[in-house]
Amino acid sequence: MIWTSLKRTVGAAVVATVALGSAAMAEYPEKPITVVIPLGAGGSHDLNARVITSTIPTHLGQAMIVRLSPGAGGQKGTQEVANAAPDGYTLLFSHNYIDQLQQHVENLPYDPLADFVPVARVNYAPIALMVRSDSPYQTFDELMDAAKANPGEIRLSHSGNWGALFTPAAQIMKETGAIFNMVPFQGGGPATQALLSGDTEVSFGFPSVLGSLLDAGEVRVLATAGEERIYDDVPSFTELGLAPESGFMHRIFLAPAGTPPEVIAKLEEAFTALQEDRTYQRLMSRLGENTDYIGSSAYQAMREAQKVEYEALVESITSQ
Amino acid sequence: MIEQFAEGALMAFRADTILMIVVGLFSGMLVGALPGFTTLMAMAILLPLSFFLDPLVGIPFLLGIYKGGIFGGSIPAILVSMPGTGAAVATSIDGYKLTQKGQSRKALDMALFSSVIGDTFSDIFTILMIFPIALLVMQFGPPELFAVLLMSLVIIVATSGSNPLKGLVMMLFGLWLAQIGTDPIGGVERFTFGIFELKSGIPLLPMLIGVFALPELVYAVMRSERVGAFAKLVGERLSKAEFKRCIPTIRRSTIIGTSIGIVPGLGQVVAAMMGYSAAKNASSHPETFGEGEVEGVAAAEAANNAVNGPTLVPLLTLGIPGDNVTAILLGAFVAQGLRPGPQLFEEQGSIVFAILVAMVLANLMFVVIGYLSIPLFARIVTVKTGLLVPIVIMFAFAGAYVFRSDATDVLMLVLFGLFGLLARAAKFDVMPMVMGFILGVPLEYAFGQTVAMAGSSPLAFMFTERIGMMAVLIATPIIGYVLWKRMRAATS
Repeated sequence: MIWTSLKRTVGAAVVATVALGSAAMAEYPEKPITVVIPLGAGGSHDLNARVITSTIPTHLGQAMIVRLSPGAGGQKGTQEVANAAPDGYTLLFSHNYIDQLQQHVENLPYDPLADFVPVARVNYAPIALMVRSDSPYQTFDELMDAAKANPGEIRLSHSGNWGALFTPAAQIMKETGAIFNMVPFQGGGPATQALLSGDTEVSFGFPSVLGSLLDAGEVRVLATAGEERIYDDVPSFTELGLAPESGFMHRIFLAPAGTPPEVIAKLEEAFTALQEDRTYQRLMSRLGENTDYIGSSAYQAMREAQKVEYEALVESITSQ
Repeated sequence: MIEQFAEGALMAFRADTILMIVVGLFSGMLVGALPGFTTLMAMAILLPLSFFLDPLVGIPFLLGIYKGGIFGGSIPAILVSMPGTGAAVATSIDGYKLTQKGQSRKALDMALFSSVIGDTFSDIFTILMIFPIALLVMQFGPPELFAVLLMSLVIIVATSGSNPLKGLVMMLFGLWLAQIGTDPIGGVERFTFGIFELKSGIPLLPMLIGVFALPELVYAVMRSERVGAFAKLVGERLSKAEFKRCIPTIRRSTIIGTSIGIVPGLGQVVAAMMGYSAAKNASSHPETFGEGEVEGVAAAEAANNAVNGPTLVPLLTLGIPGDNVTAILLGAFVAQGLRPGPQLFEEQGSIVFAILVAMVLANLMFVVIGYLSIPLFARIVTVKTGLLVPIVIMFAFAGAYVFRSDATDVLMLVLFGLFGLLARAAKFDVMPMVMGFILGVPLEYAFGQTVAMAGSSPLAFMFTERIGMMAVLIATPIIGYVLWKRMRAATS
């Protein structure tokens, strides 16, 4: 008698646990999600993440908490997420250069394609090549001709080797044969300041942060990335014969490999819903960012293509 | 411009602006006082709040956090010798000695007054001279930065202690420690021995807590049976006479701090150390510095806070953030649809001035908030040693961990703690090492950039394009020698 009731109780408990367990799966996320950014405070990823984390909770049903983990060119934070449990509660907010380029220049403690799956590409930032407005170079071709005639003489300020400003420069050097004197700075802001103060002659910037300098006539943009023109009178990279994928920084959410597909689907759902969110749209447009969203599987195909492209790029630059 | 200023000044006097400044100051002070939590983190986390507030509420709120946080950092530096940032290192030299003498309240008062005065004057100077400063900022590039950093290091060694040779050894060691990790220019790994954790370099906070706080705790435990380890007294408040005596020092440090704020990339650490060194050098009794001299606290705090005004200039006039703090402020501006830069000044100059006026207001309010809360903080040291030491140890370890959420940092903390004990036993001052470590990275950056900029003809570059840099470089050994002579004459 006692035995049967005990069996029943245990049985009921087992059923209840299983039911709860599957309910928990179905109800992901049941606790806040940590988003690791492998970059420093105040950068564009930080700002974009603050917009996302303050708007996505209504669509996700849980909070997203940002944790900045800069160091070793982004490898520190990336490594943390690679080692995290693949349960959807730790995500990485990174960009394509950390994700797919670094593996060709350094020995990484993780394998980007094998250890991560994409969740979403939130948006992208096309780069703009710029000079000071008092610069003698009026067009892209004039600048390239000068850089070819005096290889390594024209100074170009960037934000760190193989980063968001260095890589477009490498892509341009590879395609045109021009050679610049690459001077690194601690971030995009100081790189722009170096251009304005005359320490360098050329730099790159994102249109989202260049607005006021352009309006004030401090800088002249010579080319912008992509097929379409961003400024009416400035040619696009495609028009100038550069590869269409050059100079794009993709802001991406990645999850550790092994994260259940249902979890990825749930996250994708929230990101898709976010695209219709008016507050999200408004804040992103104030930051000067687009909201060109790409889902998990479509971006995976882009990652695989990037890996091949960046390998060739690194080869061509380091063999010089 | 005067019209814009008047309009802006009126805009800043709003109840909700003032309320949020107070909230910001208070929360900043609490966060800054907790080791491991930086003001920067607090600003980054609270940034989204400003997206949904009026610009004249949200931005002053963030500024309040920033200002409260800087002062907050000096609280543990003074009370338990635990500087949470490089900027508070110079404050802890004399501040902690005052605590040990039972005068912690006096030290905190001095820190409050001198930091508010330094900050206020630099803000007012910035408001008046914003355009000349903007032009001046453009005159400094990596070559000048390199020269000024090098000169700062020489001055720190020359005025560090009774034995400059020991100071030099420690500084070189600090410079070497800064080399560990990924080289900032070439991206090559150095001295990492293939250990991934070392690739991002040695973390600053575990080093600071390790070399400054842990040895004090060990000594406190060793002494506790006989004397009270941490002094039990909070002591009296700062007297008028003491404050008056420090006025020349505060004035000097404010000028130094403001000038350093104009040079992009130098920052509060250099300002605090230069302010401190200058005060020690100008004093008729330099031997009291490092032994609990209120003037030392005043010199460091006035200088590091005076940096604040000018560092905002590139952000406000060009829209370029020079460091992480200004980058977060830029985010707050643009999320409001305001894009800092020349255009904003022309079209909405009153808003820019309103924000600058709000900064001055924040300073004035902080005098009241700080003065009222200091007795509370000062009371921490009256806790029984048997309780206080374990609590401080807990904060030390938790702080070292929380900083980067990295378990290896706890190991670093212990290693630096042991190193700090050894250095003390051998009578080596750890301060030059910490300064060498902190300034090593920007120094190397500036050097690498200078070399890259100079290209194939370095001599021509330095002597024709960069005369300012050469002047500083030539003056450096002379200044170092003179200071060293004077310090030796004064202390022997």
